Amino acid sequence: MVEPDVWWLLPLTISLLIGAICPATGALLITQRRVLLANLMAHSVLPGLVIALAIGIDPSIGGLISGLLGALVAERLNRRFKGREEGAINTVLAGFTALGVLLVPLLEARVDLETILFGDLLAATTTDLLRTTISASALLAMLVWGYRDLVFVGIDPEGAAIAKRPVLLIRLICSLITALVVISAITAVGVILVIGLLCAPVLMHVERSRSLKELMLRSASTGLLLCGGGMMLAIAIDLPPGPLIGTLCLALLFSYRGNTAEQR
Amino acid sequence: MSHSSCVLSTTELCFSYGGRNTVDRVNLQLQAGTLTALVGPNGAGKSTLLHLIEGRLKPSQGTINTSKPIGLMPQRAAIDWSFPITARDMVQLGTPKKGKATAAHHCEQLLERVGMAAMGSRRLNQLSGGQQQRVLLARGLMQQTDILLLDEPCSAIDPPTREHLLKVMRDQAEAGQTLLVSSHDWGSALDSYDQVVVMDGQILANGSPNTVREKLSDLTCMMGSHCCG
Repeated sequence: MVEPDVWWLLPLTISLLIGAICPATGALLITQRRVLLANLMAHSVLPGLVIALAIGIDPSIGGLISGLLGALVAERLNRRFKGREEGAINTVLAGFTALGVLLVPLLEARVDLETILFGDLLAATTTDLLRTTISASALLAMLVWGYRDLVFVGIDPEGAAIAKRPVLLIRLICSLITALVVISAITAVGVILVIGLLCAPVLMHVERSRSLKELMLRSASTGLLLCGGGMMLAIAIDLPPGPLIGTLCLALLFSYRGNTAEQR
Repeated sequence: MSHSSCVLSTTELCFSYGGRNTVDRVNLQLQAGTLTALVGPNGAGKSTLLHLIEGRLKPSQGTINTSKPIGLMPQRAAIDWSFPITARDMVQLGTPKKGKATAAHHCEQLLERVGMAAMGSRRLNQLSGGQQQRVLLARGLMQQTDILLLDEPCSAIDPPTREHLLKVMRDQAEAGQTLLVSSHDWGSALDSYDQVVVMDGQILANGSPNTVREKLSDLTCMMGSHCCG
C-alpha cells in the first residue's frame, strides 16, 4: 500500500495560522495607528535573527529582542524629532535592516537571507508550527484579558489614561505580540512582505466593521483565504509562496470597491 | 440649583510651559450642583486648567482641593472618529468599574437623553459632528462622577444641538452634578450658566453672568456670536 503524500500539510497549516493571526494583529495596529512601528519591528528582527543563528540559539529569541530594541530606539528618536517621527522611524528601519545584512558576513553566519526576507513556506518545520501556535495563543490571551482596554486605547488614548486604564502596559504587550507574530510570519512571507499581510485584509474591512472584534474576525477570514489560496496556488504553478501571497495582497486592494457599512 | 457646598477649589494654581505661565495663579471655587462656564480666547489656558484639575498635568505651583471623583469629556480632536465602534459601545466605554451591572440600561437612558436613541447602532464616522458631540457627552455622563469637566463640548455644532446639549448639562447640575464647561468664545448663552469664569492665563473675571458683564464691559461687544463654544 502506498503512503499518502502529505508533505504540504505542515506548510498549509502554518500558512493558515499566519493568515489568521497577521491580519488580526494588523487590525489592532491599524486602529491604533501603529503600522509604521510594526513595519519597523518587522525589519528590526533581522540583526537579532542573524546573531541568534550565528551563535546557535533559537532565532525567535534573537528576533524578539532585536525587534523590541528597534521599537525602543525609534521611541527615543521620536522624542528627539517630535513632529518628524516618520523620518526617524524609517531611518531606524533602514539602519536595522542594513545592520542585519552586514552581520551575515561579519559573523560568518550560515543564513539564507532570501528566506528571511521573503519567506519559504515549503521549508517549514514543526518548530515553526510551534512558534506560530505560541503567537496565536498570546494574541488570543491578550484579547481575552484586555479587549475593552484595546478599544479604549485605540479610540481615545488620553481618555483611557484618565480612566486609569493601563495604557503603557497595553502598548507594551501589543508591541511584544506584534514582534511574536512578525517572527512567526517570517516562515511564510518574510520580514519584507509581512506588512502586506498585516494591512491588506484589514483595509478591505475597516470601513465595513462596527467593532474591533468584527474587524479582526473579518480580516482574519480574508487572510486565511489569502494565505491558504496563495500556498496552494504556489504549489500548483511552482512559484515561491511568500512573494505570491504578497502580490495577492496588492491584487486584493485593487479589487476593493470601497464599500462602507450600510446603515442599520 | 443648590449652592450648598464647595466641592472643588484651586489655590494660586500655576502651570508653566516653554518658560511661560499658561495658567497663572488661578483661584477657583466650584459649588455642588452648579454649571460653570470657563471662557477665554485660544491659548488662554482653559484646557490646561481642566487637565490640571483632572490630574493629568502636575501644577508647577499651587494646590487643588477636592475629595470628589472627577470625569472628563475631552475635546473632539482627542477622539479617533474613524475607529470601528458604534455610538452605543462608545458610550459604554465610560462605564465606571462599579457600574457594570446596570451599564446597558444606563447607556440606553443616556442615548435617549442626548437624542441618540435611534442611532445607537451607527458607527461613529456615520454620524454628523453634532451627533458625535452628543455621543461624547453621553460617554462623559456615563462616568457618573460628582464633578464633570467638559472641554469645548459645543464646538462646531449647530445652535439647536448646542441648546440641547446645554439643557442636558443644566439637568445634570439640577440633579447634583458639578459641571465645568470650557469654551473659547462666549455670547448670550452665558446666561445658561450659574457661574462664569473668564480667563486668559489669569482669571480676569469670575461670578454670575451679570457680575462678569459688569466687570468686563468690553464683553458686550462679543455678545451674540456663540453660546458655549
